[in-house]
Amino acid sequence: MDVRAHVSVIFHLDKCIGCHTCSVACKNVWTDRPGAEYMWWNNVETKPGTGFPTHWENQNKFNGGWKWNGNGKLEMRCQNKADAFLKLFYNPNQPNLDDYYEPFTYKYEDLFTAKAGDDQPTAIPVSLITGEPMEIKSGPNWDDDLSGSPIYAENDLNLDKLTEEERAQLFEVERLTMFYLPRICNHCANPTCVAACPSGAIYKRGEDGIVLINQEKCRGWRACVAACPYKKIYYNWKTGKSEKCILCFPRLETGQPPACFHSCVGRIRYLGVILYDADRVPDAMKVHDRALVESQRTTILDPHDPAVVAAARKNGISEEFIESAQKSPVFQYVMKWKLALPLHIEYRTMPMLFYVPPLLPVMGKSANGTYEHSADGFFTSLAESRLPIKYLASLFSAGNEQVVEAVMKKLMAVRYYKRWQSVRDMAENDVQKILREAQTTPEEVEEIYAMTAIPTQFQRYVLPPLQREEAIQSTCSPEACKGCSGFSLNPTVLGERA
Amino acid sequence: MVDAFLFVGLPYIAIVTAVIGCVWRARTNRFSMSSRSSQFLEDRKLLWGSAPWHIGIIVVLLGHILAGVLPQVWSSILTVPGALIAIETVGVACALLAIVGLSALIYRRVTSARVQAVTTTTDLVVVALLLVQIVLGLLSAVHFRYGSAWSTGTVVPYFWGLVTFRPDMTYVADFPMLFKLHLVGAWFIILLLPFTRLMHLLAVPLQYLWRAPQLVIWNTTRRRQHAVAATIQADSRRAFLKGAAGVAGATGLMALGVSEKALNFFKGPHPDPEADSALLQKKLQRLQLTAEERSYELERQRNDMILVARYAELAENKGRYFIDYAMAPGLAFKGKDGLPLVISAKCTHLGCTVGSELDAQGRVMCPCHISYFDVQTGKPNDGAPAKLPLPQVGWALVDSTGKVVLSRKPGESMQGKVDAALLPQCSLYITKPGRGIA
Repeated sequence: MDVRAHVSVIFHLDKCIGCHTCSVACKNVWTDRPGAEYMWWNNVETKPGTGFPTHWENQNKFNGGWKWNGNGKLEMRCQNKADAFLKLFYNPNQPNLDDYYEPFTYKYEDLFTAKAGDDQPTAIPVSLITGEPMEIKSGPNWDDDLSGSPIYAENDLNLDKLTEEERAQLFEVERLTMFYLPRICNHCANPTCVAACPSGAIYKRGEDGIVLINQEKCRGWRACVAACPYKKIYYNWKTGKSEKCILCFPRLETGQPPACFHSCVGRIRYLGVILYDADRVPDAMKVHDRALVESQRTTILDPHDPAVVAAARKNGISEEFIESAQKSPVFQYVMKWKLALPLHIEYRTMPMLFYVPPLLPVMGKSANGTYEHSADGFFTSLAESRLPIKYLASLFSAGNEQVVEAVMKKLMAVRYYKRWQSVRDMAENDVQKILREAQTTPEEVEEIYAMTAIPTQFQRYVLPPLQREEAIQSTCSPEACKGCSGFSLNPTVLGERA
Repeated sequence: MVDAFLFVGLPYIAIVTAVIGCVWRARTNRFSMSSRSSQFLEDRKLLWGSAPWHIGIIVVLLGHILAGVLPQVWSSILTVPGALIAIETVGVACALLAIVGLSALIYRRVTSARVQAVTTTTDLVVVALLLVQIVLGLLSAVHFRYGSAWSTGTVVPYFWGLVTFRPDMTYVADFPMLFKLHLVGAWFIILLLPFTRLMHLLAVPLQYLWRAPQLVIWNTTRRRQHAVAATIQADSRRAFLKGAAGVAGATGLMALGVSEKALNFFKGPHPDPEADSALLQKKLQRLQLTAEERSYELERQRNDMILVARYAELAENKGRYFIDYAMAPGLAFKGKDGLPLVISAKCTHLGCTVGSELDAQGRVMCPCHISYFDVQTGKPNDGAPAKLPLPQVGWALVDSTGKVVLSRKPGESMQGKVDAALLPQCSLYITKPGRGIA
C-alpha cells in the first residue's frame, strides 16, 4: 500500500446556476494574456450540448485517454512510444483554433473617433490573433442555455445511447431540460497528458496530486493536448507552450481556495484531501466499463482506518494532512455517501474531480399534471424522468445506470425526509420506506443535508496546510529563498522523482 | 583570401558561436526553446508541408552526418554492388521531398494570416536559407554525380581538418562555385542555430523512449525533511570519503606522470643498449626492404621497354592503367584509328590518379577536384583546377616475333608501319624516355 494524499474536489451540479463567475474569475487571474485569450481553464457547459472545445467528448476524433482491450496494459489512444516521434511533425489528433473559437475584441475607439455622419458608429469585431476584422462564428460558451437546439444540444454525443423516442421526448418543447457542467482540469490520478509528454515537462505533484506543466521544459510538441480526453490542456499559440489549470496552487499554498472555488456563487464547490493507494494505479482501471466507478472507489482509502493512517505516516504524509483528509467533504461525498461520480471514467484517467449529478430535472410529472410523490410511485418516476438516467450514466458512470440511479434515489430520499420533517405531508412509514429503498438512514440524510444545504466555507474547503515555508527550510535557508515560490525553488529538489 | 575566410574562418566562427550560443540559450533562456508549432492556427496545409519536409531533410542529413563522421563505414557501404546508385537515388528523392515540403510550408506561411501572426523575421530568413541550401545541394548532387563517393576524399578530409585544428583549404579551394555555395550555406545555418527556431532540432525528446509513463515530483515537506535529516549525515560522510578518494586518485595519477617524466630526465636521453640494438635492427631491416624494392625498380627501368598490355586487351572507352618509368600511373586506350593512345594518368593539379573511363566527349575525370582531360591531347577543360595537359607517353607495338613494328615518342610522328590484320598479335610497350628504339 503506497498511500498518497490528493487534493480533490466535488462539484455539486444541483447547485450550479450557470453564471460563469468561476470562468471569469479564472480568466482574470490566469489567462488574460496574449496567446491565452481562447483558454478557459475553467468553463461551464450546458448539457445536453456540444461543449468546449466543440465535441471534446469525441475520442474517435481526438483520441484522448487510455484504452484497454480486456487484458494487458492500458494504452494511450493517441500514440505509442514509437509513433509519438512521427507525430512531432504533424499531430493528427490535435484540435485546432476552430474547434475552440477565434478570440476577438471590438474596435471600441471607433465609437469615439468616427466622423459625424447619418449612421451610428459601430465597434466592429477584430481578431485578437491577426488584428483583422472578422465575423464572430463562435465563442467560449456559444451553446449556453441552448438546450433543444438542433445544432448544439442534439449533437451531444452522450445522446447516442438514447433511443429515438427518448431523444424526441427530451427535446419536446414542454419537457425541454438542461443542466450546467462546470469543468476544470480533473488532476487525474492516471493522467494521459503526463504519459504522452515527450519532453517530460508535465508531472504530478507528489504531495497534493496537482498536475502541472513545467514551462521551462515544455517544448511545445502538444502531445498532451491530444492525449487529454477532457481537452483541458491548451496550447499557447504565442509562447509555443502548453498550459493548463494549476488548481491555483499559489493560493492553496497560502491557505486560500482556488479562484473559481472562492468566487462560486452557488457554492457548488467542495475541496478536500483524500488518501489513495498509488499501488493500485493504473491497475484499478483495467476493468470493464460498468465496473469502473466502483473500481476507482476501491483505490480511495478510509482516512479513519488506523492501518491507512499508519501507512500514510510511513509515507511522510503530515499529521495535518491526515487530519484534513479525515474532515474532507470529498471523502464523505465520494466514499461515505457515494453521491459523487467522476466525469467520463471510461477514459480511464481516474479523474480526481467528482460531480454530484443533478436531480432537479429528474422529477417527472404524472398524467394529471401534478408531481407524483407517493412512496410507491415515487421511484418509478426515475424511469420516466425528464433527463433520462441513461444520459446521466453516459456522463458519470460509463453507462452503468444502476450507479446513477442509486445516487438519484439517495438525493431524493434526502429531499423527502427533510420535507416530511417540516411539512409532515406524508406518513412516517412511507418516508421510512423511501429511506430504506435508497439504502440510507435518517442520520446519513441529516449529514448529507448539512453538507449540501448549509455548509460554512470552512466545511466546504478543508485546505491542508501545504507548508511551503517548511518545504523551503528543508532544502535551503528561508532567508536565502525569500520571495521564491513555485518551482524556482531548488533544482535538486525538482530533479527528484518518485 | 575570401576562400580562406569562407572555408576556414567562417566554419570556426559558426561552430564556436553555435556551441556557445546553444549552451547559453539552454541555460539562461530555456523558456524560449520551443518548436513554436503553428498547427493550432492552421492544420490542413501543414500536413503537406511539415511531414515531407521533416522526413526528407532528416534522411538527407543522416546521410551527410554518416559520411562525415564515419567515412570508413560509409565507404565500405559504398563498395556493396548497387549501393552507390541506391544511396544517390534515395538522397535525391528525399531532397526533392524536402523541397516540396518546404515550398508548401513557405506558401502556407505567406498566405495564412493566422500563421503570419506568429511569424518572425528570423523565421523567414531561416526558411529562405534552408530552401536555397537544399536546392544548391540537390543541384550539386545532380551536376557532379556520385557526390556520396567523391566527397569521402574531398569534403570529409576538409571537415576533419577543421575538427582536428589542421584546416586544409586545398581540398575545397578548387571546387566548382555551386558546391562552394552549398558549403558556405551549411556554415551559415550552423551559425544561426542558437538564434532561431532551428534550435528545436537539439530538443529531440529521446528520453521519452525509456521514461516511465507517469512522472511524480515531490516538493515538500516532512517526507522530504525526514529524508534530508536521515541522509544528511550519511551523505556528508559519503561525500567526504568520495571526495578524499577522488583527490587521492588524482594526486596519485599526477604523481605517476611526474615521476615518470622525472625518471626519464635523470636517466638521460639514452635508452638501454638492448632496446637500442633492437631499434637499429628494425631500421636495418626496413632499409634492406627498401633497397630490395629499389633494385626491382631499377631492373625494370633498365629495360628499354615495359610491357603494358596485349593489343587485344586495349579498349576505346576504358583505359588500362600501367606504371611508367617514373613509377607514376599511366593509361592506355585504343584510339579511334585503332592505334594505341598512351597518356600519363597523374593529374597535373595535385597528382591524383585520374579515372579510366571516358565520358561522352572523350575525356577522363580526376575525381579529386573534378578536372576533365581530353585523352587525345591531354588538355584539361577550361576552368579546371588543373592547368597543364597530361603528358603523352612514348610507346611501341611489338609483333609476335619480338620485332618493333610501330612506335611513337611524345611530340614526334609515328614511326614504322603495321598491317591492321596483324595488330591483334601485337603487344603494347612503353619506351624509355630519351632512347631510340632498338
